[in-house]
Amino acid sequence: MSTPLVIGTRVTREYHLGGELVHALRGIDFEVAEGEFVALLGRSGSGKSTLLNLLGGLDRPTRGSIQVAGRELASMNAAELSLYRRTTIGFIFQSFNLVTSQRAWENVALPLVFQGVGRAERKRRALELLEQVGLGKRADHRPTQLSGGEQQRVAIARSLINKPRMLLCDEPTGNLDSNTSAQIMGLLRDAHTKGASLVMVTHDPALAASHAQRTLRMADGAFVDELPVPAVAGGGA
Amino acid sequence: MIFGLALDGLLRKKGRNLLTMSGVLIGVFALTLIVALGQGLSHAVTDTVASSDNLRQIGLTGGMGIELSNDPADVRIEGEMDDDRRERLLRAAINRRQIRQWSGRRVNEIDDAAIEKLSKLPHVESITPVIIERYQLQLDTQGKKYETPASLSIGVDVGRKRYEERLIAGRYFSGPQADEVILHEYLLYKWGLLTSNDYESVLGRKVKLSSIISEQTDPMQNAPEQMRAMMADMSDEEKKAMGVLLPRLMQQFGQFSGERQSVEREFTLVGVIREQIPGDVFNVIEDGNAVQTDVFLPQETARQLFLGSVVNRELGYPRALVLVDDAENAPAVEQALRDQGYTAFSVASVLEQVETMLTVITVIIAFLTGIALIVSTLGIVNTMITSVLERTREIGIFKAVGATNFQVMAVFLVESALIGFVGGLVGLGLAALATIPGDLIAKSIIADRAAVPYAGGVFVIPLWLALTGPALGTVTAVIAAILPARRASSIDPVKALRHD
Ligand SMILES: Nc1ncnc2c1ncn2[C@@H]1O[C@H](COP(=O)(O)OP(=O)(O)OP(=O)(O)O)[C@@H](O)[C@H]1O
Ligand SMILES: [Mg+2]
Repeated sequence: MSTPLVIGTRVTREYHLGGELVHALRGIDFEVAEGEFVALLGRSGSGKSTLLNLLGGLDRPTRGSIQVAGRELASMNAAELSLYRRTTIGFIFQSFNLVTSQRAWENVALPLVFQGVGRAERKRRALELLEQVGLGKRADHRPTQLSGGEQQRVAIARSLINKPRMLLCDEPTGNLDSNTSAQIMGLLRDAHTKGASLVMVTHDPALAASHAQRTLRMADGAFVDELPVPAVAGGGA
Repeated sequence: MIFGLALDGLLRKKGRNLLTMSGVLIGVFALTLIVALGQGLSHAVTDTVASSDNLRQIGLTGGMGIELSNDPADVRIEGEMDDDRRERLLRAAINRRQIRQWSGRRVNEIDDAAIEKLSKLPHVESITPVIIERYQLQLDTQGKKYETPASLSIGVDVGRKRYEERLIAGRYFSGPQADEVILHEYLLYKWGLLTSNDYESVLGRKVKLSSIISEQTDPMQNAPEQMRAMMADMSDEEKKAMGVLLPRLMQQFGQFSGERQSVEREFTLVGVIREQIPGDVFNVIEDGNAVQTDVFLPQETARQLFLGSVVNRELGYPRALVLVDDAENAPAVEQALRDQGYTAFSVASVLEQVETMLTVITVIIAFLTGIALIVSTLGIVNTMITSVLERTREIGIFKAVGATNFQVMAVFLVESALIGFVGGLVGLGLAALATIPGDLIAKSIIADRAAVPYAGGVFVIPLWLALTGPALGTVTAVIAAILPARRASSIDPVKALRHD
């Protein structure tokens, strides 16, 4: 039995909103196996994005522990977290989050800028990925000149450029029609096939069922019915 | 790489950033121009003066024999009074003392004996009297008679071929004792002589110089009384000086009013000298006196003519030029001459004072101008805060893809630095451009007023100043951006990504 890539233990995230304490995550336990494709389902406000942000090191848990590849995220400082994001994680958002003033290839290459990779090498690798997502001819276009689906493909290319071990997708098809969604899901599956672990937030149970190896259902900051441990890694059930 | 992101942010809001930049631009522009002017003036002084042997020269005039102290500690105000009044009276006493020193009569005159004595001081190479005197002048040709009531003459060091380069007609002196005279083109022009034919008509003719006889009645009629009154409030030290001075003065004036003897001599007009132009050798001490000179005589001839007057023999030469073996020794010799009871100033020390003064003025004005730059930083702070706000979502993206806080900060610091650098560079460029009309204007003003022509620029931008402009703009802008950039780096990426 191999060690899971992610081990979350009593992960709690609370927000102070005015005088109120908002329990976004209520001490949940979970695991994600290396190379696993997990879907996160749940109503709005159930804590899906909060969990994803914690996994991606964009946020820290109020309490509890998140270990990724043997390293404890909760105790990392800001510099260590940014290194973790830079090397281990690829983010894909519902609203694409491209830099509007930059060309497609520049957006794809953005993570490399912060790794200090030279421009020529950046462009070469970005074009390679754009080719993979079928946008080889759109490299010099700006996000405003691209459709939603194309923008999301650029975002996927960007998330893959640092060869991350884990892709975190927050409703990647939420803004897209079904045809385009299928295209995007195809790309994500490709990435998964090539070995990346995937955690994908979605509202669509059918989408989860047809692509993910395991679906975790959330409600009010906790998991419901499904076992939060991978069947493969857990060795049964 | 970070640079690209910063440039991207900069180009996105061109108008706003240009406006912000113009603040830096104006600051650097004004600062560069002011300092360039200071530099130019300082160069003008140095270039004019530091040429030839100026720095080895000391101007020597007669002295009181005793150097009076200007030290306030030596002046005492007696009696009961409040501090304010004592302070006022003390200042009054010092002021009166200083004025008396300046207007005081000489005790130690510069005559041949003094020159011989002082020439033996260490490091003194030579002491030459500067002989300037006014003479009535007459020039007779067959047809015409030219004359002036009082033209200024100067003795010329023939050995050093002084002024030979300025000869425009005729020839130079044949020797230091020749009975020859060279006249200034301006005097000839005043006589209506302009062409080479005109010059030919007068060259070789006789010029008669005669001393000017004072038409005033005896100015010393009332002097003793005045002097007694003057001496009433003098310190013991000053009285001692006056005690030496008074009998000699009386003697001189007595002779002056009694003799009224006229000197008269004839010389051959051998040449015409032009006005000084840029590039001519300029000696502060000799030529400072010579700017109004119309009549040039060989030094020894001028000296004999000068000493032909009893008064001159008694009062000595008006001043002398001391040449020191090395510029380094000028201050020491200057002090030695003062210790001997003479008034002496070295060109080097005067130059140093002028330069110090120029530097102080430049620094003060530059400091005031710097306020413009400080104000421009407020504009930068404002622009950068706005830029950070606008780019909040982008900052979230940067962080999500792995940018460190420092890298996020760097994006904004570089963006601001670019504003400052370009602003500084353009400011410098405009200042450099402005020096062109500035030089023309300044020169036209100077040309009308300055006795000594100067060929260089009035505004000078040395390399260090050129580097300072953009550097200052950059540094100012970076400092202004520190707070906004830190704010950017501390933005919570989760919130930023939700931001729109
Ligand atoms: N910064 C915050 N301050 C206060 N409360 C917050 C904050 N961020 C999230 N929450 C709360 O935490 C809970 C979980 O939010 P989260 O964004 O994780 O939900 P979600 O499952 O992603 O919902 P959606 O499907 O609408 O994206 C919600 O009740 C939300 O209001
Ligand atoms: Mg969400």
